[in-house]
Amino acid sequence: MTDLAHLVGAAQRGDRQAFGELYARYARAVHGILLSHVPRSEVEDLLQDVFMIAMQRLDTLRDPDAFGGWLAAIARNRATDHLRRTPHTIELTDQALGREASSARGALPRAIAPDQSEALMVLAAIRALPEAYRETLVLRLVEGMTGPEIAQRTGLTAASVRVNLHRGMKQLRARLVHV
Amino acid sequence: MNDDDYLWDRSGPPDPEVERLETLLRPLGHQESGSIPLVRLDAETTVRLKPDTTYVSAEHTSTFVSGAQTATFVSGAQTATHVSAAQTATHVSAAQTSTHVSATSTAGAKSLRYIPALAAAALIAIVAGGWWMVSPSRPQTPGWEVTTIEGAPTIASRSILSRSELPVGDWLETNERSQAGISVAGLGRIEIGPRTRVGLVSARAGDYRLNLERGTLHAVISAPAGQFFVETPSSLTVDLGCAYTLTVDEAGRGLVRVTAGWVGFEWQGRESFIPAGFVGATRPGVGPGTPYHERASSDVRAALELIDFSRESPETGPALSRVLAEAGERDEVTLWHLLTRVPAGERDRVFDRLARFVPPPVSVTREGIRLERRDMLDAWWDAMGLGTMSLWRTWKQAWPGGPTSK
Repeated sequence: MTDLAHLVGAAQRGDRQAFGELYARYARAVHGILLSHVPRSEVEDLLQDVFMIAMQRLDTLRDPDAFGGWLAAIARNRATDHLRRTPHTIELTDQALGREASSARGALPRAIAPDQSEALMVLAAIRALPEAYRETLVLRLVEGMTGPEIAQRTGLTAASVRVNLHRGMKQLRARLVHV
Repeated sequence: MNDDDYLWDRSGPPDPEVERLETLLRPLGHQESGSIPLVRLDAETTVRLKPDTTYVSAEHTSTFVSGAQTATFVSGAQTATHVSAAQTATHVSAAQTSTHVSATSTAGAKSLRYIPALAAAALIAIVAGGWWMVSPSRPQTPGWEVTTIEGAPTIASRSILSRSELPVGDWLETNERSQAGISVAGLGRIEIGPRTRVGLVSARAGDYRLNLERGTLHAVISAPAGQFFVETPSSLTVDLGCAYTLTVDEAGRGLVRVTAGWVGFEWQGRESFIPAGFVGATRPGVGPGTPYHERASSDVRAALELIDFSRESPETGPALSRVLAEAGERDEVTLWHLLTRVPAGERDRVFDRLARFVPPPVSVTREGIRLERRDMLDAWWDAMGLGTMSLWRTWKQAWPGGPTSK
């Protein structure tokens, strides 16, 4: 039995310490998935929601080794649901930057002063990419995970992650080059 | 080594642009909060968390407080509750009622904001489906949003470039160069592979239903078990809380490979329960075959094909011998299904083999199994430790209009 399967099994039997360990391992991945979909100001609350939902439904997970993919799916669903229900409560900065990023030709003004502003601009540019690339790039560049970690934490195949990183980075470079 | 090695796993020479973006973006990422010690708060309990914040658990609730910097969840016996610690107050919201638990706080409690919150065990025991019925995550849209993963999929023969909606009654199609994704809030995510034609039959709450005419779909479902269905030409696929890949070929033959949870296959009263790590086949006019472990040998697969779909063949006996000879402990699911799939005269052989791995309960007799007594089959299933058969029957009763009822 893998270490992950052991942890998930313990959590399914009600061991909250084990669930806490799962949180510690997977919070970064869930944070990244959420951040690739929703305004930054709302990610922390949704992060808690995702783990709450996961705890409620953990007994339906039959293959403990599939925990990562299962949790990632919950995060995506929660993000989608949140956006549908609260379309008018988008963080101003992200919203504005998102609009800018998705504007004409995708060109993004890079030299925009303070670090945080530039970071948000780049984040907005990543969010404007196709979904598969967006999520993988946020996990890699924002959350600092490596490709193998992303695959392990999200349940995607390593090959898919590598392709998504390659193609996503290529598209991101194209956007950032128009300075 | 190639140019992407640094991007992939930081093993190659640093890519300056990637490095710059890492440095720039890292502050936006998740801020680690360390390990998560857990404290259980029983009813009527007050606990003081450092530095100066007091949380009170309400009557009939139990609370788990977690987090190095802390956070809280409170769950009630019949309420779903979520406590998020803010800087000055904590709000406990119940499923249909709202309780506010005040917390005195000091500036030192600012760190509470990032605390992971965990639900209490009682939450899991919430009346089945009750919480979900009032949950905001319940799907409510009439159609489903489709996004393009690759190429140009079509809906109702019209190309979609990035995203569109699949209305009930319409078909989503991909060619050999296109793929699409369907995300449904509160239900899950479904990826549609190349060369696939899939229709949205129902988007009603509790009856989320696709028709897979041909091709492949990958489903990761987070909705409660028994609410997502995929009709195929040879079976109804019922999600039981899981992830799986379902393929239907041009002849209507289906194959499901389950990677998490369980899938139920049903056609005109013939049913199969397929757990993670197993594969199940279906055939038009016959229905689901016997599930087999994904590492089963090609001999066993061929033998099961013959037993399931060529039942009059004189080769059934030798085929069963091959399956029984290779059957191990992991194959108890296969053997249980075979109890009713083989001719009556062969049933004792399956009985004996399964009994080696899972002794039949005292209420189960050889004669009863020969007669396909449902109560005995169910009791033996229960003894396998895979969840009681009453669970399966519960969701089966709730099947809204599968092929069985047509």
